[in-house]
Amino acid sequence: MTAPPVGRVVATELKPSTPHQFHFWTARESAIGIGAIVRVQEAGRTVYGVVTDGFAYSDLVTPMHAVLGADGDPVAAGQEPTARAEIRLFTAAVLRQMPEEPLQPVPLGPVWLADDADVLLALRMDSYTGGERSSGVPVGLYAAGGLESPVYLDCDFLLGPEAAHLNITGVSGLATKTSAVEFLLTSIFQTFPPHKGSVAALCFNVKGPDLCFLDRPASLSPEDCRIYARLGLRPEPFPDVHYYAPLRPDGVNLNTLRTNEALAANTEPLIWGLREVLDYAEVVLNRDDIDAKADAFIDFLAERVVGREYQDDMLRGRAFQVQSFADLEEFFRAIFDFMEVLGKGGEVWKTHHLATIRKVRNRLSNISTRSKGLVTDDGAANDLPWGSFADRSVHVVDVAGLDPLAQDLVFARIVSKLREHLERRDLGVDHVVVFVDELNKYAPGDGPETYVRKMLLDLSERGRYLGLVLFSAQQFRSQVQRRVVGNAGTGVYGRMDADELATPGYATLSPATKIKLATLPKGELMVRHPHFTQPIFVKFPRPPVLGGREGIERYPPSGDVSFTEAVARRLRSLDRRISPDSVYAAIDGRREEDVRRALSATRRERPVDPFTYFVACLGKRVAAEVVVPRRGIPAVRRGDDGYGA
Amino acid sequence: MQMSNLWSLRRRLAGRGLTPASAVPESSGGRTEEACIRPARLVEDTSLRCHPVGAAEAWPEPLAFLDGIQRLHLVAYAGAAPIYIAAIAAAVRERRGARLLTILEDRRRLAIARPRALAAAGDALDGYATLALPEDEPAHPVRDLTQASRALDRARGRLELDLGRRFRVAHDGWLLVDGSLAESPEWAADSRTLGVSKSHATLPFADADLDLYLRLPPGHRTSVFAPQTRSVAPVHAWALRLWEWEAKDLFHGLVRIEVSPANGVPATADLLSRRLLAERAPISTPDPRWDRLLYGIHSVEQYLHARAGALA
Repeated sequence: MTAPPVGRVVATELKPSTPHQFHFWTARESAIGIGAIVRVQEAGRTVYGVVTDGFAYSDLVTPMHAVLGADGDPVAAGQEPTARAEIRLFTAAVLRQMPEEPLQPVPLGPVWLADDADVLLALRMDSYTGGERSSGVPVGLYAAGGLESPVYLDCDFLLGPEAAHLNITGVSGLATKTSAVEFLLTSIFQTFPPHKGSVAALCFNVKGPDLCFLDRPASLSPEDCRIYARLGLRPEPFPDVHYYAPLRPDGVNLNTLRTNEALAANTEPLIWGLREVLDYAEVVLNRDDIDAKADAFIDFLAERVVGREYQDDMLRGRAFQVQSFADLEEFFRAIFDFMEVLGKGGEVWKTHHLATIRKVRNRLSNISTRSKGLVTDDGAANDLPWGSFADRSVHVVDVAGLDPLAQDLVFARIVSKLREHLERRDLGVDHVVVFVDELNKYAPGDGPETYVRKMLLDLSERGRYLGLVLFSAQQFRSQVQRRVVGNAGTGVYGRMDADELATPGYATLSPATKIKLATLPKGELMVRHPHFTQPIFVKFPRPPVLGGREGIERYPPSGDVSFTEAVARRLRSLDRRISPDSVYAAIDGRREEDVRRALSATRRERPVDPFTYFVACLGKRVAAEVVVPRRGIPAVRRGDDGYGA
Repeated sequence: MQMSNLWSLRRRLAGRGLTPASAVPESSGGRTEEACIRPARLVEDTSLRCHPVGAAEAWPEPLAFLDGIQRLHLVAYAGAAPIYIAAIAAAVRERRGARLLTILEDRRRLAIARPRALAAAGDALDGYATLALPEDEPAHPVRDLTQASRALDRARGRLELDLGRRFRVAHDGWLLVDGSLAESPEWAADSRTLGVSKSHATLPFADADLDLYLRLPPGHRTSVFAPQTRSVAPVHAWALRLWEWEAKDLFHGLVRIEVSPANGVPATADLLSRRLLAERAPISTPDPRWDRLLYGIHSVEQYLHARAGALA
């Protein structure tokens, strides 16, 4: 209250003060700008507002008078001895009135720039910060007129159960979206209150190396470090990060940019088998495929055949044990052989028509072909640690190099599994933040209904009750499924494209706010949050983790290596003492399928001595034998046999 | 000084048996002058001539502007005698770095009426200084209005003089006054005070000289002359055409400049005229007198009007 006021509320018939908006003027040299939070105090009433628009004009009635005054000479116009009287007039939207009742027009009082305490009250952060059960999560610094104040989100409204989800919009190429999410996750992990339980994050890396270095520290500027200190955060990378990436079609090299050997320890292959895929067959089969007949047969396979012992004496004497695509192929082969034997009458097997069976077989085998590297034929899966997610752990699934079909499968299965486990409360954590970028691609506002879009919609509508929270990002919010972004309790906006700002979704923003959004510098955001009655601009520091571009420079991908070297690297990621030469010797002359199987088993088992275990899995080397042709029984010599010839 | 509470004053006056009234006289905004010709004495040249003053030249800073405003409002009648409430205000705004800042300001609230009417109003007029109108003739609302206007003019003039005096005590820069310097011997003797008069009700020449005087081309001045004046102090003056007048009015852009006799020499008249030409911009629109109203004076008026608020 000791600082002098910076302005004064003015109201005219044309520009009246209302309970939701007011106007005030300031000196020409005022520090007030768009987004500044101000306080009006008059006669026992305090009103907080955020500046949404600004005007400057002089007492010049018409431009013609300026021309007249300068004799038509623009140079003379700048040399007038007296500067015209001019005004700096600002429009502010009311954030909060105290007392809140009776709700009245903003009084015509003096205006102050908000300080820390004012910002806390203006944004209603007093209700959830401070005290033993504080639920504030720092989102950035509000800065205006040389004052800086931390701004907090309420984690009850960010991670549920009151509201949940966060959506971030911004143009590509400024690293705002990814950086903001990385910073916000840092903030959540460091400040999520104990009484709210545990939290983990699962991020889908959908392009380039964006999220590939969350466990590596960034070199931050002193200014960034200062902002961290002001927000009460530590500029540290995530301590517990796990990377999952499918393999390349060769089955040993990882399909990710995080292949530098120094990063191998926490980078695992993501491999799924038949069981994992079949449950989500509808994701990978297109709409034409999933007719009622195909669906029925897939159900039959899922419920009666896959993962069970299936006995059908008509097909063969011993039971089928279908665990992998290879086993499934064997099962289909048996059906087709049986039908062939039946001949003309063999068109239906157990009420399923032969054409339907063939179609399902073709589509399923196509999955393992198109998603080679993610889906394995041999049934040995390597999955996320369902049931043992650790508190404050980050799981990054790198799908950047995957075929779109396989990406859909990964999204659908992982989110469904998260939901299942959270419903059963056996995931290992109480809340999971799922980060999905490129929502324009995965949940577009128009186009065909896809399983992934349905899944994202379901997640945004029902996830908060489970603790399953969607952090999503896209370039054009207007082109995302409205309910997906509409369900996001918190909205974050980076620099925006002017065309995007012209869409109806931004009609509530003032022209000045739109201009500010269109020119927002790196590291600044506009935040909407249920507690804030108006959007607020904040600045945030660089995330404490290496950015994609820097990470690639510091940890260049090793590129695809030979099969033997890839195997050696994978084993060395389990135990650095294993020498590549010993691995080369162990696998020399072995079939690649056997080596892959042994490697997969070793990774899955994680034994104390990985190399010994790996060699054991390879089995005994069988020496080649030269087959000596047997001497046959000599032919009966022709001769007289008494019968005559 | 807000005058928006006149209705409560009217109620108080009604409570004292007076008749509330409400009107804003036509002459409430400023002084009125009678049109006349008072031949002047030429100080420069043997006959009246036009002199080109040269190109406009910026005024060295600082330059201060002094002006005042007045408002008159009828609030009641005591019989046929009107009671007026008036507001007068004056200010000096100084230009520094092309910006005008108010450095001196004063204002008064006045009640103007015949003494008997003022007495009848009693303490209803507490807070107002009183100006008594002469009672040598019977009350006449029209004549009383004229006299009230004159009294108010004089009161405003005194306020402006007082402010000018206070300015000179603390500042030695040029002071540009709206109107005549002849009102005050101090101003008339001050070599750094300049009067700019927009009013031409009193003309200094007749016949052919008047033609020349009124048909002055833009950027020209007349010969310096010493106006005959009813006022107390002798000054030197010249006319200056600020804007092209043809196709408009004869008085368009025509101002009379008054200076102390010490400054009434041709070289100084040219210099001051060039500086005044530079003051044409910015123009004082939307004021209808913009062709003669310098922006600095306009700014003082705007400031005073803004501070006075609206008369109810």
